[in-house]
Amino acid sequence: MSAAVDSLASAVRKQEQGLLNCVHCGFCLPACPTYRRLGDEADSPRGRLYLMQAVVEGRLDPGAEAFQTHIGRCLGCRACEPVCPSGVEYGQLLELARQVGGNARRPPVFSRVLLRVFGTAWLARPAMFAGRVARATGLPALLTRIMAGRRPPKGARLAVAMLAASAPPPPLPSRTEDPPATVPRRLDAAKPTVGVLTGCVQAGLFARVNQATVRVLQANGYHVVSVPNQECCGALHAHGGDLEAARSLARRNIVAFEAARVDIVAMNASGCGAAMADYGSLLADDEAMASRARAFAGKVRDISQLLADRGPVPGGTVPLKVTYDAPCHLLHAQGVADPPSRVLDSIPGLEVVPLPGAAECCGGAGIYGLTNPRLGGWIGSDKVQSVLGTGASALVTGNPGCMMQIGAGLALTGAGIPVLHLVELLDESYRRGGLYGNAGG
Amino acid sequence: MVPATLAKSLVGICGRDGVILDEERLLVYESDALTAYRHRPGAVVLPRSTEQVQGAVRAVAEHGLPIVPRGAGTGLSGGAVALDGAVVIGTARMNRILNIDAPNRRAVLQPGVINAELSEAARVHGLYYAPDPSSQTTCTIGGNVAENSGGPHCLKYGVTSRYVTGLAVVLADGSLVKLGGQGRESPGYDLVGLFVGSEGCFGIATEIEVGLLPVPEGVRTLLGIFDRIDDAGQAVSDIVAAGLLPAALEIIDGPTIRAVEDSVFAAGYPTDAEAALVIEFDGMEAGLDHDVERAAVLCERAGAREVRSARDEDERMALWKGRKKAFGAMGRIAPDLLVQDATVPRTTLPSILRGISDIGQRYDLVVANVFHAGDGNLHPNILFDRRDEHELERVERASKEIMQLCVDSGGTITGEHGVGLDKKHHMELIYGPDELDAMWRVRRVFDPGGVMNPGKVLPEDTIPSEDTVLPVGTGGD
Repeated sequence: MSAAVDSLASAVRKQEQGLLNCVHCGFCLPACPTYRRLGDEADSPRGRLYLMQAVVEGRLDPGAEAFQTHIGRCLGCRACEPVCPSGVEYGQLLELARQVGGNARRPPVFSRVLLRVFGTAWLARPAMFAGRVARATGLPALLTRIMAGRRPPKGARLAVAMLAASAPPPPLPSRTEDPPATVPRRLDAAKPTVGVLTGCVQAGLFARVNQATVRVLQANGYHVVSVPNQECCGALHAHGGDLEAARSLARRNIVAFEAARVDIVAMNASGCGAAMADYGSLLADDEAMASRARAFAGKVRDISQLLADRGPVPGGTVPLKVTYDAPCHLLHAQGVADPPSRVLDSIPGLEVVPLPGAAECCGGAGIYGLTNPRLGGWIGSDKVQSVLGTGASALVTGNPGCMMQIGAGLALTGAGIPVLHLVELLDESYRRGGLYGNAGG
Repeated sequence: MVPATLAKSLVGICGRDGVILDEERLLVYESDALTAYRHRPGAVVLPRSTEQVQGAVRAVAEHGLPIVPRGAGTGLSGGAVALDGAVVIGTARMNRILNIDAPNRRAVLQPGVINAELSEAARVHGLYYAPDPSSQTTCTIGGNVAENSGGPHCLKYGVTSRYVTGLAVVLADGSLVKLGGQGRESPGYDLVGLFVGSEGCFGIATEIEVGLLPVPEGVRTLLGIFDRIDDAGQAVSDIVAAGLLPAALEIIDGPTIRAVEDSVFAAGYPTDAEAALVIEFDGMEAGLDHDVERAAVLCERAGAREVRSARDEDERMALWKGRKKAFGAMGRIAPDLLVQDATVPRTTLPSILRGISDIGQRYDLVVANVFHAGDGNLHPNILFDRRDEHELERVERASKEIMQLCVDSGGTITGEHGVGLDKKHHMELIYGPDELDAMWRVRRVFDPGGVMNPGKVLPEDTIPSEDTVLPVGTGGD
């Protein structure tokens, strides 16, 4: 028996153990963005688990249209997990199902190419560079303005709008009567050593978020060290069912962060955070790495948690009305609900209004907008309408995929509402508050 | 697989994305929340309007195929299972609240609206929809109407039939009739009352008018912890006998407590207890604390180890979530479960619970109880693994014995989950030929051709001899 078939068989056995927890109660149905919109139980978590079960029982060929379509249509937002009384680990089963599905029928060429690029540093860097160059020409922004107000963009047009949306936001408003710079509070506790995952998209298109992350961590008493030789986290590969590529990236990351001797692995992209917090189960069958992977996963913390643990230290005034969208991989996959609000509440002058449906996926979901343009666009435009309804002048979130997805959607409405990463906002507050040594304002 | 001509006309009526014909996609619809029964439908139709429902019903009926209405598929009696290649008409896409008339405390909605979402929408007007099945976050109003659903708070507030005041119903021939409406008492026969609880056998409700209630001014929730489940049963009897009228009285037994506490809905029930009794009072603030005190004293007298009250809304919600998600949490103990549903006179609770425990032991099965004790509405959950055929057989026998026990003590075979497929053969435990005959005649008035959800509720061998409709078998996909 070939190694691939072996691993498939063991994946199937594992699925069976996990699937049997599902008693078919249906409590997950309303939590699922695809079921809510399509009304077909095959597009619900319960239905997808049923299809997986049918494959395991030998009643359904994983190459069948039914399996490919409905497993492929899952956003992977994992909103079904926190509402499941039986504790079905849906996210892990989905990855295994995608692997089984991908073995039965090769995924479309462009998603394979995309994953290959993200997973290979020497391919990712020039690709991101090309993206930055294109973005710097101002052409994507111009095209986005031209496309504004037309029907939801798909494929290449969506990609262009997303690239434009990754550009730095315009200067935020300030008050002339800003209070004088506050003196940073001294933190006497021993400084934990933190390594930041720089990520592929984050490093490529959101370098400013990474820089802000380092500054706000330092301002909150963390000792930040650089971690050379780190790689893409492998989240997109795992979600796409390429578990071998995900495992290989995971091993390299574990080695890199161990070498840097960090106490904490800080995440500013919740999709990466959820994937890395799962390294323990991803590498559970790798004898050499299993315990190291578990130890590594235990060190993974989202930036909002690290900041909330320290207060965070208050900064200067940012007089802005914002609303917050919870990334699925932070809220559902990692169960981090309060820390982002605590960070926002700490910023003087900031008005935070609730976003209806904040717990629902924005439709970004990795490369979903490219693989399922119609449904992704539908879910995305619902999110955009919800943001517009709040009257906020900026949207705050914590994941590059969400930033680009919602940012593209907002840009296309022409409403001029920027999307900010949580740390960008805090960083601006610190700059104004003089926490970085310069004068406030 | 349905005939190509039917497939074509269904697509013509509901659109290509409104009809599921692919055998493999249909797999997903082969059972509801009672997974012991699995039958693949011939097709699934997902209409968006009353007109589409009418068209679909007409087309299916013309081809002589049976029809099964389906909401969210959360039923626990196999009522939404499609026998003999029946066509499922799902209401998931008909999920709009058409109108909330706050001054008259009424709402009109489509059948696919989720129970809890109606209350959520009504809350801005200070109103809510009272019947609260444990699956209320996912089950639909259409399904509630079909099953005449209850819920924990139905002890004080009554079940679905008390709140449904009007219906638009698509009958088996595709015609549309309006029953009741405008909240007023409708002259003549109470056809709304007849339709509620008809389990999909009389037609498909496509518009439902319900009454809403004002949100109570105050709520108090108590948790009584018992080392013996008999004592908890006694406390329930004592509380009711004392003339108190709690909104809810729920018992959660030891095995259920341990499953729930292991889940994300852990409510803080002590895991070494043999029973937790959740008691809730609501209404005017004045007098609530007095009722709570009396109930607490009665619990202590009955032998409660501890009585505590929820300190705030979060704690209260946690107690309720633990109770309402208990069914799903059973997946932590065993891969399958049969949720039973029977009603017994409240005073017999302690002896019935002992009897159920004996039956479980005799068949070597784990039976976990979580139930509406105030109504005497039991939910013994029999845990099993369907891959073990012998076990499945023991489950069926134990289930039947539990039913017999409940009936013998003056109870009946269902409290709120309906008869469906699962209990139709228990019907003869409580009804004689004359009553069943009368039910068949009523059914034929609504559905002379035997098209609507055949094979459910009434056992085929009780079909009156003069009935011209051929009985529908119960086997085969």
